[in-house]
Amino acid sequence: MKILIIGAGQVGYFLCERLSLEGHEVTLIDRSQENLRRAQDRLNVLGIAGNGASAETLEQAGIKGTDIFIAVTDLDEVNILACLLAREYGVRTRVARVKSIEYSGGGGVLSKEKLGIDLLINPDDAVADEIVKIACRTGAFDVAEFVEGQIQFLGYRIGEESPVCDLTLRELGDIRGMYRFVVTAITRGGRTIIPRGDDVIQAGDSIFVFAHQKDLPAIQYLLKLEETETKKHTPRAFILGGGRIGLRIALELERMRFDVRLIDHDEARCEKLAAKLKRTMVIHAEGTDVDVLVDEGVETADVFIAVTDNDETNILCALLGRQHGASRTLAVVNKPELLNLAPTLGVDACISPRLAAAGAILKYVRRGEVLSLATIEGSNAEVLEILVPKGSGIVGIPLKDLHFPPGAIIGATVHRDTYEIPTGDSLLQEGDRVVVFALPGALAKVERFFE
Amino acid sequence: MNVLLTLRILGALLLFLAAALLTPIPFSLYFADGAAGAFLAAALVSLAAGLTLYKSCQSKRELSVREGFAIVTFGWGFFALFGALPYLFSGAIASPVDAIFETMSGFTTTGSTILTEIEGLPESILFWRALTHWLGGMGIIVLSLAILPMLGVGGMQLFKAEVPGPTADRLKPRIQDTAKLLWGVYVLLTFAEVGLLMLGGMNFYEALCHAFATLATGGFSTRNASVGAYDSAYIDGVVTIFMFLAGVNFALHYQALRGRLHEFWRNEEFRFYLFVTAGAMGLIILLNQGTVYDSFFQNLRYSSFQTVSILTTTGFGTADYETWPVLAQYLLVFLMFVGGCAGSTGGGMKVARMLLLFKHAQVQLYRLIHPRAVRLVKLGGVPVDREVMQSILGFFAFFMGIFVVASFLMAASGLDLTSAGAAVIATLSNIGPGLGSVGPVDNFAHVSAFGKIVLTLCMLMGRLELFTVLVLFFPSFWRK
Repeated sequence: MKILIIGAGQVGYFLCERLSLEGHEVTLIDRSQENLRRAQDRLNVLGIAGNGASAETLEQAGIKGTDIFIAVTDLDEVNILACLLAREYGVRTRVARVKSIEYSGGGGVLSKEKLGIDLLINPDDAVADEIVKIACRTGAFDVAEFVEGQIQFLGYRIGEESPVCDLTLRELGDIRGMYRFVVTAITRGGRTIIPRGDDVIQAGDSIFVFAHQKDLPAIQYLLKLEETETKKHTPRAFILGGGRIGLRIALELERMRFDVRLIDHDEARCEKLAAKLKRTMVIHAEGTDVDVLVDEGVETADVFIAVTDNDETNILCALLGRQHGASRTLAVVNKPELLNLAPTLGVDACISPRLAAAGAILKYVRRGEVLSLATIEGSNAEVLEILVPKGSGIVGIPLKDLHFPPGAIIGATVHRDTYEIPTGDSLLQEGDRVVVFALPGALAKVERFFE
Repeated sequence: MNVLLTLRILGALLLFLAAALLTPIPFSLYFADGAAGAFLAAALVSLAAGLTLYKSCQSKRELSVREGFAIVTFGWGFFALFGALPYLFSGAIASPVDAIFETMSGFTTTGSTILTEIEGLPESILFWRALTHWLGGMGIIVLSLAILPMLGVGGMQLFKAEVPGPTADRLKPRIQDTAKLLWGVYVLLTFAEVGLLMLGGMNFYEALCHAFATLATGGFSTRNASVGAYDSAYIDGVVTIFMFLAGVNFALHYQALRGRLHEFWRNEEFRFYLFVTAGAMGLIILLNQGTVYDSFFQNLRYSSFQTVSILTTTGFGTADYETWPVLAQYLLVFLMFVGGCAGSTGGGMKVARMLLLFKHAQVQLYRLIHPRAVRLVKLGGVPVDREVMQSILGFFAFFMGIFVVASFLMAASGLDLTSAGAAVIATLSNIGPGLGSVGPVDNFAHVSAFGKIVLTLCMLMGRLELFTVLVLFFPSFWRK
């Protein structure tokens, strides 16, 4: 497919990387030669210097035959105008990143249809939604939902005290007995592998698990993650930073009956937050003011979420929160270098607005056979939900005879109302929804496998 | 202060009063009660005074904040003075102090009376009493705003000074249109009640007088025994419902008439008003069951009527609540302080202010436990301005201060402890009847002239919500 991306910023670069790896024909437009050179040197893409909202530049980039148009510059107006132009050129799928609530919020005069945009993506909202999802799952640092939330994809970090530490997957299989889940991947030292029966889970690993929603409590129990307190009192969340992300998280957690405490250092902003929030306690303080954190009960916090504008503040405050007893800490981190560093320091999960936005965009442009998709933190692996199409050659043949691509694994299949953790003898049927974990190199092969 | 402009507008308001003084004449002629001459004379005096002021005082300046306060306060003073003329001319009331007390009680929708024998008076005089209620209920100034174009500029000052409550709703961009809408709703509700009362057997004249007194939350009746004289459960029910409605913000009635009934429930003040009404009614019914009334239906009928009558500061009576258990009387005294909703015709401190005071106290306590927490006082999900909150705290302090000082003065004028306090709250909250010697079956005739003057001022301050009147006593108000 021909894909045109406007804006070689963080999101744009990341999208180029993913889409070009999958063998798509990607053209990148940016005003800055330097950004373009960086992308062209490292990625297999064509760079064109110029204004993405100018028809001349777009024609030069070959917009006429383009299938997917993605505008992710820093300027809302440029993105919207570029999408309007793309519509005139007859591009089928148009995606724009828009930050301002005026355009992206519901009920506005200008709907996205009028603006010629198929998908409006707001990185702040995307990251807030992701944080909320993780905050609601005890113990997991990464969560994705498939098949309307029936199948959950969860990432757990394994500490030395974890009961599954130093077990091979085969041994784990013996213990888990009736619990139905599958360990699809292990990330160790920045490398992601699909484990086999004799691979050992080590302390410091992150493991990724597929399971049905019903089996979640059993997994929590097995991993000794179940927190007895959460059952007794309403879960308590501390949020540091009352920007748009913080406010959205607070609103969402409030709705889920969390006891939310939102901290911001700007008094005027605090008053605005207090006006918008109902039950949340808004606290005017610096995030590093330990006395205030302790006074307001940070040691009873089930989750501490740092979402200020500053990566370093987020990481430091998350560590402070952990030191003073918060059970879990989440931090928003923008810089890619810090993203990989933070977990080793002891922050439970780092979420990048860039990845969240890119993930949402990828999910959208790949729709079709791919029903849903998630990108995995700290690696390039992806999880796809695929519909087995009609008349597919793979129907009715045991999986072990199908030559499923290496570097990918089927985590779960859902047939109407029943689900299955597949084995080599399982058969696929038409209309099944299959959730697949795939390393970057295997993505294209997986998609071809199901065609 | 621009004295000339103030006097000119006061002159215009007097012309308006002269027109109002002519309306009882048809009733006088119909009933042949002989008071027509008194009304004509009173109208001519008002006309002459009004024309003199209007023509002789010319000013090109525009209204400012200060003139607004002066016009409203003195305007109400003038109305009480000139509105008292028919009582004096017709001989219905002999003493000028009594006549002014009665007129002020009418215009401020208080309903306290110095008359011992009502039924013998000319019908047109009784109609005038009810009409003063009705004009004062929605506000004479607000009515003038709708009619007199010269008040257009700076009219919001006048509007705010007269409409009860901590803040005034503006339904339309132009203040004249807002005033017209509010009066429109008021007229509509009044005639709805007239119709329903006539169905219950009242004649047009009586129905009109009672509807005027109900919608204005006044309380003057044409009978000695008030609404109780009709002894009809149907009439009691109709009056109870309309008293309750008159205690609601008229902006909400306007929304409801446009088909947006849910606005009632979305309004937090209304919910609290409903809660207070239902709660007090329930408790009083509980206290009266078996002690005062044996039949539950009788209990419901009389207890709910009296609760709503006191809470909305109407002051109609169907039962002597002084024979009720002490605790029930105490509840009624509490309701006297609360009053109706903001933007209604009711008096008192207003439900919105009470609600915000509670919330403010709650936030204060919360701040002691969480010193760094930022928490705002909200009404209906919207944060209340700090200035509004401060003015409410000030209002509460002034209200209590005036209550204490005026009670002291009433005790000095010779009333006993209960009667002194009750007389002050009954007038300051614009209710009408109090307790003790000014209770529901008594009247204010026995109070000394000094006491009547104090109570007259209380009524004025209560109706104009203290500040409008009190600023006039501030020396810097009069300086340039």
